[in-house]
Amino acid sequence: MLDFIQGPLVSISIVVFILGLLFQVFQFFRLTRKKEWGNPPLPQPMKPEKKTIGQQIASWLSALNGTLWKTDPVLTVVTSVFHILLIITPLFLLGHNTLIRLSCGWSLFSLPESLSDGLTLIVLICGAYFLGRRLFLARVKAITTAYDYIMLLIAIAPFLTGFFAYHQWFDYETVILLHILTGELMLISIPFTKLGHMLFFFLYRFFIGGEYSFLRGSRSWSW
Amino acid sequence: MDPSFSTQTIQKVDTKKVKEMLNRRKGKMKRFLSHCAHCSLCAESCFLYMKHRKDPHYMPSYKVINSLGKLYRKRGKVDWKFLNEIKGIVWRNCVLCGRCYCPIGIHVPSMIAFTRSILRSQGVYPQRNEISAESWL
Repeated sequence: MLDFIQGPLVSISIVVFILGLLFQVFQFFRLTRKKEWGNPPLPQPMKPEKKTIGQQIASWLSALNGTLWKTDPVLTVVTSVFHILLIITPLFLLGHNTLIRLSCGWSLFSLPESLSDGLTLIVLICGAYFLGRRLFLARVKAITTAYDYIMLLIAIAPFLTGFFAYHQWFDYETVILLHILTGELMLISIPFTKLGHMLFFFLYRFFIGGEYSFLRGSRSWSW
Repeated sequence: MDPSFSTQTIQKVDTKKVKEMLNRRKGKMKRFLSHCAHCSLCAESCFLYMKHRKDPHYMPSYKVINSLGKLYRKRGKVDWKFLNEIKGIVWRNCVLCGRCYCPIGIHVPSMIAFTRSILRSQGVYPQRNEISAESWL
């Protein structure tokens, strides 16, 4: 069992993760079609206004007023940091990259261990903040089910066990095994659960045309 | 008075029809429901939520989870009573102004409109004697 978790299950989870995401991308394109424009697109301004650096920064800052930054600045910062670190921290972790180099012969660069440790702690603090919102904020509580807690746990558990393993808290063998297992569980969950918003955020916001899309959006839903 | 607005006479729900409607658009709708992070960040974009002293029942996410979400969870096997329960959510608690904002990009108005069409297919819609100034549109 232990050999399976540390060996083939790692490959299985990576394959499920990649194929699952590809399947979801394929399904997305099957369910959407190229957007037909009823009216010709508006002409682009001929020359963008020339702005000084100060004016440019002021313009960016004022644009933030139309975003969630205006209504909930704390959550905007926490969620942005959390989601960025969720990707960066494991990808540039020395321990992970050493294992990748051993099996593939190459790896990405690694951040200093103390920095990765700090980033992991930040992820855990952000996770605790999300948990606090779920437990105490009426509007979040109103739509929270056990499934939400499980999903939060699946997202946080690899970081928590990784933090414990790095500091050698509790029984190292057990903790590192749980770390591997929870990491695999997270990878397998991403394409098929609500963690899928990792992929669909980009598909919905960049590909589907609409008022809130980041680009003009080239596709619309078939149904 | 127009008889269609006086009292609703249809009592039996055509669950086969409801199921068929749900299945026809499940690719999009189930993905939207599944990808909702239940973060509540859509709340403040709804003027009804703000107007009702931030009552969570008016949050866009609450409205879709408890109407269309339940229809999918029950796989269309619903009764007249249930459809009448969610009638208020999709008609009274939402005016389909389309101002709701989801950071993930979930299109809430299309979900509410779809739920309305399912209810309408079963003859469940606001009656004239129910419509008050309180946002029944």
